Amino acid sequence: MNATAMAQPGSQTVQTEKTGGTRIELAGCTKTFPDGTRALLPFDLTINGGETLVLLGPSGCGKTTILRLIAGLEFPDAGGKITFGADDVTSQSIEKRRVGMVFQSYALFPNMTVAENVAYGLKVQKVERRERDERVRAMLEMMHIDMLADRRIDQLSGGQRQRVALARAIALRPRVLLLDEPLTALDAKLRVTLRTEINSLLRKLGITAIYVTHDQEEAMALGDRIVVMQKGAIAQIGTPREIYRAPRSPFVADFVGASNRLDGRIEQNSLVLGDIKIGLEQIGHAVEGGPNGHHDGNTGQGAADVYFRADGLAICTPDQGQMRGRVEAISYLGEKSRLTVSGIGESAITLDVDPDFQIAIGDDIHCRFNPERLTVFGRHSNARNAAQTM
Amino acid sequence: MALQNLGEGRSRPSFSRYFGMSRSAMASPATFMALMAPGVAIVAAFFLIPLVLVAMEVANGPDGWATYLVILTNARYFESLVQTLLMSAGVTVVALILCGIVGMFLVRNRFSGRSVLIGLLTLPLSFPGTVVGFMVIMLAGRQGAVGSISNALIGEKIVFAYEIAGLFIGYLYFSIPRVILAVMASAEKLDPQLEEAARSLGAPRWRVVRDVILPGLMPGLISSGAICFATAMGAFGTAFTLATDIDVLPMVIYTEFTRNANIAVAAALSIALGLITWLCLSAVRFLVGEKADLATRGGA
Repeated sequence: MNATAMAQPGSQTVQTEKTGGTRIELAGCTKTFPDGTRALLPFDLTINGGETLVLLGPSGCGKTTILRLIAGLEFPDAGGKITFGADDVTSQSIEKRRVGMVFQSYALFPNMTVAENVAYGLKVQKVERRERDERVRAMLEMMHIDMLADRRIDQLSGGQRQRVALARAIALRPRVLLLDEPLTALDAKLRVTLRTEINSLLRKLGITAIYVTHDQEEAMALGDRIVVMQKGAIAQIGTPREIYRAPRSPFVADFVGASNRLDGRIEQNSLVLGDIKIGLEQIGHAVEGGPNGHHDGNTGQGAADVYFRADGLAICTPDQGQMRGRVEAISYLGEKSRLTVSGIGESAITLDVDPDFQIAIGDDIHCRFNPERLTVFGRHSNARNAAQTM
Repeated sequence: MALQNLGEGRSRPSFSRYFGMSRSAMASPATFMALMAPGVAIVAAFFLIPLVLVAMEVANGPDGWATYLVILTNARYFESLVQTLLMSAGVTVVALILCGIVGMFLVRNRFSGRSVLIGLLTLPLSFPGTVVGFMVIMLAGRQGAVGSISNALIGEKIVFAYEIAGLFIGYLYFSIPRVILAVMASAEKLDPQLEEAARSLGAPRWRVVRDVILPGLMPGLISSGAICFATAMGAFGTAFTLATDIDVLPMVIYTEFTRNANIAVAAALSIALGLITWLCLSAVRFLVGEKADLATRGGA
């Protein structure tokens, strides 16, 4: 999409970014609600032109508040600054910002048809009738809902409604597309289909997009970068691969699906788990404690949290086994079976096996770690200092 | 199953809906009759039989069926009808505007004293018309508060309790609770994200109100407006207490019946009052009802 195509008819400003999307910057933003709740701690965030940024986190972490700050539905506390390209929009209200919004509840106008919904923004912006009809038709075709043009909203399925909502949001060629959990209300299968469609749509349009979700899989599938949020603060920003393979804190590791946790110790550049010793150089990702930890392998001395997914442990023969556990439950998932195993850590551990592997509840199994798939967090922020003094 | 089907019917002015003929999943005739029986009994006892009796009074009168025309030919009755209609329509419009704004505000804002305010606004529900009339006299009557204050300030007693203004205020006061409650019920169901979506598309405030909020509130406004209008058309207690200069139709009926013993005319006026009220309501429902019906469907 070239620069002129991004310009909105009827407005004098012409998009100049070569990237095709507007670069968005939030600088020194905080948000305190009137009742005194600190919704967002001070943060800076840059979304590159044409990038899809996913805000990921549990409910109440502040991800939707960031979206609403960018939308112009909320305003940052004094001192915060929001820019769209070279445009300072900090005090601009949503009507002026040219943002496209897609909501979890679809928020389609029930008193209008599909085509009228999509045309609404164009009508408000006084786009001439013929051009309006033409653009609405193109939008509906792009979203594969042209045959629904004259339907009423209550005659549509959830997936169709969300397609209409997307068409309505992009019909005005907004500077940024803001999606607030758009797939949460849909069933699992449709969610995956529509996710793929949204992904290719965003790539095709080259539009800057910010996508809020609490679903890790959705975030990984859609995001160029993911921002993991925790209690009003940014816990980590990175590509899906970075977030998945190199989580910076136990919270991030846990939130992106490394649900197994063991207590360990770090001694002389080795991870010690009971009577097992694994060299830190073999560990996939090791972080010293503290908020700015980095994975240089030098994780000092002391207690450590070990996180891993279902692929962090593998069943093996008794002579190769590092530990023994007992199968408590088996879930057949088709392409694999997931075992719940007790006796390894304090709480049960999940691990995956081949679905045809012969095993029953109550069986004893032997397994060993896959060090590359382990993530280790030193528990003390001064662990490194302690190591130096020794 | 049958109950579910009956409950599904929407208040749309179409014959097939009213008579349930087009419903595909109809219960068996026996069940249907059994379910209809209480309704038929109530309609007969409280509507059909009294109506027929009143209609017969007209037929038995000196002028026979021609009595019905008296409301159009007699200047006094016709004027009374026009006044009553204008008055009721005026009260309805003002009540809808006032309560639309207040109701929307009360739903969207949380502040201390909110529930007390709602309680106060809905208090008139428990007052009979005579009490409301009495209150209007206390406010704007010859010994009323407004008169005393204006007397002290400008040396002139402002009295409007016994004119159309007094009646108007009384009726309005009477209507506010119903309309506010209905508006609040509709407003609660209005998804705030609809407004945000409209604003994100560049719609200024007035357009959001026109395109999103009003269509959403429309069903509540129509139903409460209808009740408000019908109540105002038939209100008697307030008018009676105020003993106004203007003759509203219920007052005329009362006078014809009790003082002049003009039973046939009273009966004709009664039926005309009911019929005209019903016609007005049907017309409004037909004109805006279809649109409002659409507005409430769909969404999340």
